[in-house]
Amino acid sequence: MGDVLLEVKNLKKYFKTPRGMLHAVDDVSFTLERGKTLGIVGESGCGKSTTGRTILRLEEPTSGEVFFEGRDITKISKHEMRDLRKEMQLIFQDPFSSLDPRMTVSQAIEEPIKLAGLIKDKNERFRRVLHLMDTVGLAQRLVNTYPHELDGGRRQRIGIARALAMNPKFIVCDEPVSALDVSIQAQILNLMKEIQKEYGLTYIFITHDLSVVNHFSDDIAVMYLGRLIEKAPAERLFEKPMHPYTQALLSAIPVPRIHNRGERILIKGEITSPINPKPVCRFANRCEYCTEVCTSQEPQLIEVEPQHFVACHKVNAEMGQGQ
Amino acid sequence: MADEILQIRDLQIEFVSEGEVTKAVNGVDLTIAEGKTLGLVGETGAGKTTTALSVLNLVPKPQGKILSGEVILDGVNVLEQSEHEMEKIRGNTVSMIFQDPMSALNPVMSVGEQIAEVVKIHEKVDEKAAMERAREMLETVGIPGERAVEYPHQFSGGMKQRVLIAIALACSPKVLLADEPTTALDVTIQAQVLELMKELKRKFNMAMLMITHDFGIVAEVCDEVSVMYAGKIVEHGTLEDVFDHKCHPYTEGLFNSLPDIDNRKSELKPIKGQMPDPTNLPTGCPFHPRCDYCTERCSQEEPPKVQINDTHYVRCWLYENTKESQLKG
Repeated sequence: MGDVLLEVKNLKKYFKTPRGMLHAVDDVSFTLERGKTLGIVGESGCGKSTTGRTILRLEEPTSGEVFFEGRDITKISKHEMRDLRKEMQLIFQDPFSSLDPRMTVSQAIEEPIKLAGLIKDKNERFRRVLHLMDTVGLAQRLVNTYPHELDGGRRQRIGIARALAMNPKFIVCDEPVSALDVSIQAQILNLMKEIQKEYGLTYIFITHDLSVVNHFSDDIAVMYLGRLIEKAPAERLFEKPMHPYTQALLSAIPVPRIHNRGERILIKGEITSPINPKPVCRFANRCEYCTEVCTSQEPQLIEVEPQHFVACHKVNAEMGQGQ
Repeated sequence: MADEILQIRDLQIEFVSEGEVTKAVNGVDLTIAEGKTLGLVGETGAGKTTTALSVLNLVPKPQGKILSGEVILDGVNVLEQSEHEMEKIRGNTVSMIFQDPMSALNPVMSVGEQIAEVVKIHEKVDEKAAMERAREMLETVGIPGERAVEYPHQFSGGMKQRVLIAIALACSPKVLLADEPTTALDVTIQAQVLELMKELKRKFNMAMLMITHDFGIVAEVCDEVSVMYAGKIVEHGTLEDVFDHKCHPYTEGLFNSLPDIDNRKSELKPIKGQMPDPTNLPTGCPFHPRCDYCTERCSQEEPPKVQINDTHYVRCWLYENTKESQLKG
């Protein structure tokens, strides 16, 4: 095992709703090594964004532990957390609503440096802003422009510069390219890869776009209705997805080629409600392999081959590790 | 060649607001044969949606101006029709499905009423028969007929898009305009909706204009594809022409920007720069500032249409001498 930066143990985040407890994140555990990227994928409402936000304690976890460099950050005070936030940053999906429309590019990038008191001297701070703009590929002539004058790609570069301003070790990227056109998306993905290499950053990359996550991540975790149902090295997951949901999800990707198109597994129905889920497999009602045990017991996440974890009764039974 | 149900010739549309002129569509030609699907691919601001709206004669007025061109739908130039005539055509000969199913439905009408409304406008039927048809249409798109009395908020995103498809198809149009119909949906739901659209297209023998930015969707549902950039179709051909023998540097750039699902180590090669400002388009070829093969001529003269083969054309100076059968502009 390499140098672990982040370890998440039995993380839960429930929200109270008028109809009952909404299990947004339900007993999620994983580890992430320094300098690596974990992709979290799943469809709307599967809890992937909440997982990212809860790890940063932007949402208080209902229970569970999050170890950042060996320290359980769910136990530390708000004040200590504020200091630690410099090392853990977030890049948002929507570069249109995540920037203050009344701040110029330089003010937006300067703001976090100023608030954290990282650089006191004004001129030095400005030099840092220019350096950051350079790093993320924003031309210096844009220093006094406002967000509305810029396109989505450039705005997302501001978001990245703001995150980098604190010299973080770890960044949660929540759908950072989903709002962008493909030609711009590729520019931003390449930029994020470059800065990861240069600064030794560790990423959690949250997305619904499976071809992007495959390209970008070392490991991929698949979530379904608050549960982590499969996790494996990216290559392995695409080569041999084991959970029936992962198989359907991967086969649903529209592949941009006209020859050798794989057979598609169409899953029936839609995601059920995450409110007060029964302790059974949450995918059971849509699963073609569903058996009695699936509707009576919740499958646990089990390592079925090195580094490949699956939560499925069928897979566990086949691998001779059934309960 | 089968009968052409939709033909757009030399369409030019601009928008004027606050003294600025936005050149949205700059001489588009496209043709769809009966029962065929044409994919219209391009990035934000390429003019895809404006082109589709012209088929319904719904380009916003007075800021939108159609400078030239004709849109022949089933033998009729829709741009010359009165509003009264258009009301008979919309929803009957041609329908449109929009990107965002959340905002395209009326929240205070049951979905059944919304489907029945279309039927009542175009056919002489009473309330009861119209509602019966609404239920049938819901069944056709895979929703139980008894849910006709429910309201949009009681449906999920994928279900709402099915309802919109039911509304669009209620009067069996000859042409369906689909504007990014699955962009707002999750990938497994997208797969369901695409499967449904393919099935219905066969069943109703409809022609379809599929607007998308996703070549994966094009590969799945289209017969031909047009790639649009800055209000112009820069490359057009059959799927095989465009996927296997792509010519235009912009088409090549779009494909190179996509992650390769089978080779995660492959590098993304983005197109440099940004989309041009439509109020201030570059001279010559609109793509030249971003093009790796740009020559001096590209920045001065607009490239003509170069026919690569019977089904495949490209607008690019690189192919000027490819064939003698060069057509004019």
